[in-house]
Amino acid sequence: MSNDLVIKDLHVRIEEKEILKGVNLTVKPGMIHAIMGPNGSGKSTLAYTLAGHPAYEVTGGEAWYKGQNILELGADERSKLGLFLAFQYPVAIPGVTVANFLRSAINAHRAEEGTDPKQTAIPMAQFRKELRDRMSTLEVDDSFARRYLNEGFSGGEKKRIEILQMAMLKPSMAIMDETDSGLDIDALRIVSHGVNTLAQEQPDMGVLVITHYQRLLNYIKPHFVSVMMEGRIVREGGPELALELEEKGYDWIREEVFSNAGA
Amino acid sequence: MQERNELTLLPALSELTDEHIVNTARAVNEPGWLLLKRQQAWKHFADSVPPFWRRTDLTKFKSEQVAAPVGVFGTQLELDETLAAQGVIFMPLGAVLRDQEPLVRQYFGTAVDPLAHKFTALHAALWQDGVFLYVPKHVALEKPIRATFTFPEGATSIFPHNIVIVEEGASVTFIEEYTSDDMAGQAFASPATEIFIGDNASVRYITAQNWGKGVYTVGSQIAKVGNNSNLEWIALNLGGKLQHLEAETYLEGNGSRVDWQASTFAEDGQTLLTAPWLRHIGANTEGHMDFKTVVNGGGYTTFDGMIKIEKGSRETISRLEEHAIHLSEKARSDSIPGLRIDTNDVQRAGHASTSGQVDEEMLFYMRSRGIQRDDAMKLIVMGFFEPVLDRLSADMRERMTGIIEGKI
Repeated sequence: MSNDLVIKDLHVRIEEKEILKGVNLTVKPGMIHAIMGPNGSGKSTLAYTLAGHPAYEVTGGEAWYKGQNILELGADERSKLGLFLAFQYPVAIPGVTVANFLRSAINAHRAEEGTDPKQTAIPMAQFRKELRDRMSTLEVDDSFARRYLNEGFSGGEKKRIEILQMAMLKPSMAIMDETDSGLDIDALRIVSHGVNTLAQEQPDMGVLVITHYQRLLNYIKPHFVSVMMEGRIVREGGPELALELEEKGYDWIREEVFSNAGA
Repeated sequence: MQERNELTLLPALSELTDEHIVNTARAVNEPGWLLLKRQQAWKHFADSVPPFWRRTDLTKFKSEQVAAPVGVFGTQLELDETLAAQGVIFMPLGAVLRDQEPLVRQYFGTAVDPLAHKFTALHAALWQDGVFLYVPKHVALEKPIRATFTFPEGATSIFPHNIVIVEEGASVTFIEEYTSDDMAGQAFASPATEIFIGDNASVRYITAQNWGKGVYTVGSQIAKVGNNSNLEWIALNLGGKLQHLEAETYLEGNGSRVDWQASTFAEDGQTLLTAPWLRHIGANTEGHMDFKTVVNGGGYTTFDGMIKIEKGSRETISRLEEHAIHLSEKARSDSIPGLRIDTNDVQRAGHASTSGQVDEEMLFYMRSRGIQRDDAMKLIVMGFFEPVLDRLSADMRERMTGIIEGKI
């Protein structure tokens, strides 16, 4: 049973349009793996598909994690397996407080088949303490615990709350979808610090960082960089590849890849 | 508080006559003016045709079977010894007809018109249960005043009439709960509540119905709000086979204000209609209505609301939001919001309305955190009702949460 996340020849479409056209990718435990690519290359589709969004139709391929083809699991089962998606556009849940939501999620993770959920639930004092500690690391005001999840939050607040959820759920494989979008430099620093803290605490956590810009990778340093274009991974390399993209843009890769393919 | 004597029932409506009503009133020495009102109401009931309600289907309702209880057997009051010392009166209405005759006479039937239609008339003719709450000037009650209503043992109908009078500068929370077990056959509840709020007063009115299966409830609730007074109206409509509820707030006083929050949940076999009317009459009145509805199975709900900004009102602020969530394909909800403005001087009047299935993006987001679909649904529905639940006491919140979760 491998704790690698192994994606093989993944084909995905949404509303009849094929977006992913055979993605191959392996994310290893303890590694930070960045996926970069221009807009519309399929990066977010990959993130949503791995998390199990019902609108994305898998037409071919596999995604293996901890001995299971996760494409056959519901979104909640994938989460319990250790997968986490930090959303690019977090969803507001009116009337459900951040604290209540997190407690429900944690207790869902702790629940065991055939055992009274009350038995496995996180003790209230422990939950409160951990929530307070995590919020303070992410410089989130205490009052957010009682606010309704993402309702009326600014873009930066939403992203911080995503990382707060990640810190509370402690995934073994975290996918971060354009977490840097809409963040100013201070928020970017705080969010990155939160991710790095967690990565240090949990040395076996794999992280898949999806981003358009190199900027985020100054703060969250990747071990590997893959470039996605037109629904495929077209180039793989080390951190230097991100710097090269920052300097030269994506066009040169496009030219190399697609002129070769055409030749 | 229950009387010790045994429950008797009036003859069923098919057999009932004016004479029964007269004899019942005389047996307990009711004031003459009240008996006269009963007789007028009875005549109106007997003479008038059934109301035509497009969305309330009473074709299966057997009115001829209704047999009203005699005496106060379905009213439970949570008594508090400290109230009397502050001049507060909280008693069954039937028990204060003599002692508080001037007040009762002054207010009875002045908000809910006994002759409005056949059902209000029937109520006015036959009511026995209900409470009288009087809060004198400048008395602020911390602890809520609570009354509970249910069918008396051996009866399948109840007609509670509640009068709440809150004098100038006073504040109070009044809770009324209507509840019963599931009924084997048909049962009928006909409640009416009249609330009169003086100047600079503050009232939180919490009304919850969780009638059992088989119960038809046709009721009226009207509150009149004085100058610079505040009404917070919290409603939960959860039970029964059929509900037809006419509710109305009169913002009569200048600077009067209502914050009106309602949660309705209809599941399979339930038809629940709420018709809230908000009347802006005074100057600088402000009304906020937030009505939330969840429908499951083959349930059916109607929101038939109206905001009336009357001639002579000025600088009115009015906002209505009503949202419905359908948990099943068969679920139905109708929304008929109305707005009538008879003045040129409105500061703000807004309306928003939505209905549909639970948002798939919300469900996915929650599931992506490990929460199963069913639990996610529950969280979403409870969150939807949170503005109402948040305003309940801990024990009531827990009870209502249990009832609602049982319906999801």
